[in-house]
Amino acid sequence: MCTGRIDPQFVLKAFEKGADGVLILGCHPGDCHYREGNYNALRRFHLLKKMLDQFGIEDGRFRLDWVSASEAEKFVGVINDMVKKVKALGPLKPAPPLPLSKKKGRGDIQAEAHG
Amino acid sequence: MSGGDKQGIMKAGVGVYFCSCGTNISENIDIDELVRFTSTLDTVEYVKSHNLLCSEEGKNYLAEDIIKQKPDRVVIAACTPKEHEKTFRNVLQKAGLNPYLFQMVNLREQVAWATSDKSSATEKAKSYIRAAVARVALQEPLEEREIDCNTDVLVIGAGPAGMEAALLLAKAGRKVYLVEKNSFIGGRVARYEEVFPKMECASCMMEPKMDEVLHHENIELLTCSEVQEVLGFLGNFVVRVRKKAGYVDKNKCIGCGACYDQCPVTVKNEFDYNLSDRKAIHVPYTGALPNVPVIDCMSCLRFEGRSDVYKQALDQGLITKREYETFKAEDCRLCKEACLFDAINYEDKDEVIEREVGGIVVATGFELFDPSVLPQFGYGVYPEVYTSLEFERILSQTGPTCGKLLMKDGREPESVAIIHCVGSRDKDFKDYCSGVCCLYALKFARLVEKHAPSVKVYDFYADWCVPGKDNQAFLDSIKKWKNIKFIHTTLPMNVPVKKRNGKLSLACTDVSNGKHVVSADMVVLCPAMVPAKDTARLSELLLIARGKEGFFAEGHTKLAPVSTNMEGIFIAGCSQGPKDIQGSVAQAAAAAGEVLSALVPGRKLKLDVLTAEIDENACAECRICIGLCPYNAIVLDKEKNVAVVNTVLCKGCGTCVAACPSGSARSRHFTTEQIFAEIEGVLK
Amino acid sequence: MAKPKVAFYWCASCGGCEESIIDLAENILKVIEAVEFVIFPVAMDFKMKDVEALHDREIAVSFINGGIRTEEQEHMAKLLRKKSGIVVAYGACAHLGGTPGLANFFNRDMIFDYVYRKAPSVENPHNITPKPRTAVKQGDLTLPKFYDTVFTLDQVIDVDYYLPGCAPPPDLIMKAIEAILSGNLPPKGSVLAPDKSLCHTCKRKPTKPEKAIIKEIRRVHEVLLDPDRCFLDQGIICMGPATRDGCGERCINANMPCRGCFGSTSRVEDQGAKFLSALASVIDANDENEIRKITASIVDPAGVFYFYSLPASMLRRRRNIANE
Repeated sequence: MCTGRIDPQFVLKAFEKGADGVLILGCHPGDCHYREGNYNALRRFHLLKKMLDQFGIEDGRFRLDWVSASEAEKFVGVINDMVKKVKALGPLKPAPPLPLSKKKGRGDIQAEAHG
Repeated sequence: MSGGDKQGIMKAGVGVYFCSCGTNISENIDIDELVRFTSTLDTVEYVKSHNLLCSEEGKNYLAEDIIKQKPDRVVIAACTPKEHEKTFRNVLQKAGLNPYLFQMVNLREQVAWATSDKSSATEKAKSYIRAAVARVALQEPLEEREIDCNTDVLVIGAGPAGMEAALLLAKAGRKVYLVEKNSFIGGRVARYEEVFPKMECASCMMEPKMDEVLHHENIELLTCSEVQEVLGFLGNFVVRVRKKAGYVDKNKCIGCGACYDQCPVTVKNEFDYNLSDRKAIHVPYTGALPNVPVIDCMSCLRFEGRSDVYKQALDQGLITKREYETFKAEDCRLCKEACLFDAINYEDKDEVIEREVGGIVVATGFELFDPSVLPQFGYGVYPEVYTSLEFERILSQTGPTCGKLLMKDGREPESVAIIHCVGSRDKDFKDYCSGVCCLYALKFARLVEKHAPSVKVYDFYADWCVPGKDNQAFLDSIKKWKNIKFIHTTLPMNVPVKKRNGKLSLACTDVSNGKHVVSADMVVLCPAMVPAKDTARLSELLLIARGKEGFFAEGHTKLAPVSTNMEGIFIAGCSQGPKDIQGSVAQAAAAAGEVLSALVPGRKLKLDVLTAEIDENACAECRICIGLCPYNAIVLDKEKNVAVVNTVLCKGCGTCVAACPSGSARSRHFTTEQIFAEIEGVLK
Repeated sequence: MAKPKVAFYWCASCGGCEESIIDLAENILKVIEAVEFVIFPVAMDFKMKDVEALHDREIAVSFINGGIRTEEQEHMAKLLRKKSGIVVAYGACAHLGGTPGLANFFNRDMIFDYVYRKAPSVENPHNITPKPRTAVKQGDLTLPKFYDTVFTLDQVIDVDYYLPGCAPPPDLIMKAIEAILSGNLPPKGSVLAPDKSLCHTCKRKPTKPEKAIIKEIRRVHEVLLDPDRCFLDQGIICMGPATRDGCGERCINANMPCRGCFGSTSRVEDQGAKFLSALASVIDANDENEIRKITASIVDPAGVFYFYSLPASMLRRRRNIANE
């Protein structure tokens, strides 16, 4: 697995389920174990970030950074900084509760589950 | 999760095992509380804890307990999967449970060691357990697959590294295809006079090796050849090599040289870095092996390339129309007529040779940083400013001056200046140290001393880089020579070369603030070593990564120095980074060892299990994924109109899965549903 | 034997869905012959008490279009659910929230402020805005409560089937009605449309390069659109790859890119995110500044990627301005 596997749905799923921040850490550009997965992550990140802004999800809640396995200090620094920023922003406002309390189920996934 | 959501999920009785890791985990996490909590999770059938699951006793306990309890799935909360996922997968396999119906939770590194407060560590552990229990319910049994492999090897580049790898592999009984772009083997080293620190004769050192390469029955040498296409993967590569026409039959030619004596065309000899001339039909330098001349069709009168030259000359008014007609009409056959063995064949054509191999060793060498971009040195402006490789040729008996230390006007110099670190150790150019320049600069001094003992040598250096068991003594011995003067400056890049009174003049301030103005007849620059021109092209072709300086990137700096990101492709010598001959040869031996270990005749290759797959009943052929695959593992099936993953090439990065807009691509063991379950589990 | 009773109802939508029944053309006669319409706001009058008087599950099938934006819509949806054997979310708005769902990028106050005060055509000197209850001489006047957030139908009631599209195309409507009448029904929860993406049947597919690459994004009004070439290959955002097939490419045949009204396939939970991922992946740049530049040319990503599906998306609405 690679940052290239990160489906923007994962990020949204985390925010949907109550995460107050999402941090993606990947191999440095040019240093991807899978050659170029991190460039895909980078492209998706920029577009997703722009879109999340339209959803009222503030800048500090979503971040992409490059940390290699040997950069313990940077790893700690990035995590602490992220935690600090997210704490300052406070909890993300949830979407209103759904009138029908069930998992949203449009489409065949649920149909299969029922079958 | 509410109960309703679990309908449709396969039977998922989960057994959860906690490992205390001695006290590593239990000291910071309340395991009893975790056991209590975990038993309340819906799909969990039982929870157990153990002191040290990775011990022999622990593994036996785990296997026996799994056989007894018959869980559908297992979660083990212990250390990092990097350490023991494989261990526990093996235990599961032995206990008759598919090893992919298992999820590991890293309670040690990610919780016990990272979170100091015990109660918050325990809460954090709960969320990890919830995630793993939710995820494991969606995991699917996966089967390992095996394929046959080819054990032949392609070696690219026939310098010291490539030759060494080829020979070792050939001696081990492997068929080796050795591809070399030049018409000769031995790389740059075969053109040196002597090598440091023992001042051995380079050609004497290389010739026996070259001879072995030329005559080894397991080596097929392809000179004047370039790799054009590589398809496949470890154990199953198909390579296409373009072998350029040389117009001389190597089986008939005896290397007498009669042909080039007769050739009427003279051009600069690029193999002597344009310091000498050669004919259109030529051997690049005396003693080049194989000793078979080739015709350079860019300069030979018979070929298009040449007529272009004449056409240009005509257009520029350099020759008359009449002369042009004579030249153009020329059906020069002088070399063919001179050959007593009928070895010249004007009809020779380029050919594309296809070979199947299991492994590839890339040893394509280096070039020098081009010092003409540094105007302070006057390279390319003052004829007597040389690069180190040019100077190697001047000192070589097979070179333009037959080994005599002479300037371009034929005079012997009175003094030679050597400048270290040209374009190196400078963040604006190459910020690394090539590691060999100090030593070859010393070698130059020794050779100057030998050829012309009265010549003075000025050596502008910054720091001495002379590691290793013989090199310090080498430096010390040179320091004793009375005609050499070492000038220690912080920045050799700041030693400008100017022309003054017919001589070259170098001025600098040394580290002790002493001013030096040196007059020299010849200046030798020691530029940084940079990757050979073809490195970028080969990187694209072979899909192997390069580092920021452009050299091929090793798998791991310390522990995998000759591996690449592509299994079955190894790197050796200066294509991986600047190094000396010893280092190159050692890497070549390492690469050969890697190949021998990776590809064993008769042994099958295990394929990656965790690959991507595309549901052919769901794919609408939108083609988003195809260009994304870094391994070219996705192709269009033109009959079914769907994209298909070649699971042999796929490395399972999941880039295509994340991109697939219709959700038709899946990552085995990392499905979207599994990852969703994990995210929801953590956040509940 | 009595004909099965059928209801159509209209919540937060434009009404086009009900009119789409007319698209059935002559087939509508077959339908009328086979069923009895009990509620059909666009075609006939009915009263709430008539619906309330029906037995539970007396209506064989209710086709409800539109999302849920007001208290009244919620009430009617729940009432119809109670009175119906089968509920079909009819059209993009019931299915996904639809274009009215784009209101979820705002809140009620912002919407009222614009609609009743700031819109250029509005003159409202007394600053009157809708209130749930207004006292007048004759007594209290009530209006249904206007919610802060638009919901999809299945976020409010249990839905049996989904008929996608803006509006659903006649062939799928007919197929759905036939399936219901014959009792030959797919599993509950099914979307009554093919489960591949639109590219599957797109006539422009042959013009799509084998490896999709996008160097710049342009908007439809900025270029002359090639009527035959793949939109994405022209740098035009087309949601087709992330959108369910079955619409008959009505937009594409009119030389307009797909906007995604059919929603995603069953394998995708968030259509917009998935399209975003695909689009970003084929942007031809690795350099961060270049990526930013191309990203900047996508003027309103959320509005385009969730043109029809914002209420059904994972985030459902703009978060920092939610009131309730």
